[in-house]
Amino acid sequence: MTRVMLALLATLLAAPAAAHHVGAYVPKDNAVTINFKQVKFSVQARKFDVALRLFETGALRAEMRAHAATLPAGLEDGTRAALAASDGPEVERRLMIFFAALARDLALEADRRLAEAGGTAESRAATGRKFLEAIWRYYNLVDFAVATRDNKTSVAVRLAFDEAETYVKPATGAAAPADPARLRPPLQRIAQVLSTLIEASTTHARRDS
Amino acid sequence: MTVAAEPHPWRVPPRWVLLVAVLSIVCAELGGASMARFKVELTRWARDAMLARPAVHGLVGVRDVDERILDEALVKFDAGLRLFHMHAEGMGLVIIATTMVAATVARAGVARRVIIALLTTGGAGYPVGYLVWSALIPAYGLERAKTIAEWLVWIPFGSATIVALWWLTGLLVLRMIGR
Repeated sequence: MTRVMLALLATLLAAPAAAHHVGAYVPKDNAVTINFKQVKFSVQARKFDVALRLFETGALRAEMRAHAATLPAGLEDGTRAALAASDGPEVERRLMIFFAALARDLALEADRRLAEAGGTAESRAATGRKFLEAIWRYYNLVDFAVATRDNKTSVAVRLAFDEAETYVKPATGAAAPADPARLRPPLQRIAQVLSTLIEASTTHARRDS
Repeated sequence: MTVAAEPHPWRVPPRWVLLVAVLSIVCAELGGASMARFKVELTRWARDAMLARPAVHGLVGVRDVDERILDEALVKFDAGLRLFHMHAEGMGLVIIATTMVAATVARAGVARRVIIALLTTGGAGYPVGYLVWSALIPAYGLERAKTIAEWLVWIPFGSATIVALWWLTGLLVLRMIGR
């Protein structure tokens, strides 16, 4: 019986190894990115009627309307027209412009926040980190579409993003502490490169129409 | 018919220990049921409390940024409640099993009482840390709430359980060697 007791205790003593387990967080899609994926996969499956319905009733269109002031004119109508005309590449191009614009606006907002005085270096770095996460969440959705149209832009955004990330990483071991002041130039570069992409893609569309 | 005598028959731990263990399991069940019944209300309360303290959670006022922060905090808030439910249920059974071993093995009165007291308080207190952590997240943020719960509950109560279990293991090993 002593052996049984010892085995029982050995099992219980193994438990503290996993003590203070507080769960892991896996970031979820938001309504806009979910709707984007629904529309994208419907278009890829050539189910344009489904894609059009998902676009008209989903968060993507609502978000386009909410951001209408900073988006190229007619982006929403053009996307709907492209879906109605079963024009897959045109739908992809317009959605690429939309998400590039969202990422650009976030980069501009992050730059503006970091230009404001106040707060510790850690809190400013944390703010910068959160903005970078949000920028990447949107840009990542259209990076392939950007790269197939303009590889230099895609590389420039990713390089600027990588550089920005190094300035907001929390200090660990021998690594240098976060330096939010140096975060602004790469953010400005992201905003500028994406603005150029949006302008070029919109001009290209006007010329084609 | 003859029955072979058990060399060391199991001894039941004191009644108050069993009561604490059962109460721990009852609290776990109540917690689990409340978590399911009031899920919306709890989430709404936590969200409102977090929105009332933007600086604590690093909210910047941009929806695309803040929604991720709020989502993570709410997921952890919910995880804390779930972990309380699971740990309180499990530790209730652990208290019964380990104190029964202690009551059977530890002969010295003081050692037996101390081991049983440590196993019971540690086992019943440790799961409460998850409840504390969860409740503090809206007011103090993820990391600060975790630190408070660790120092206030997890470390003292967890240490009590670990010390008692090693002590008990040592007693058992000594007993095996002494045979």
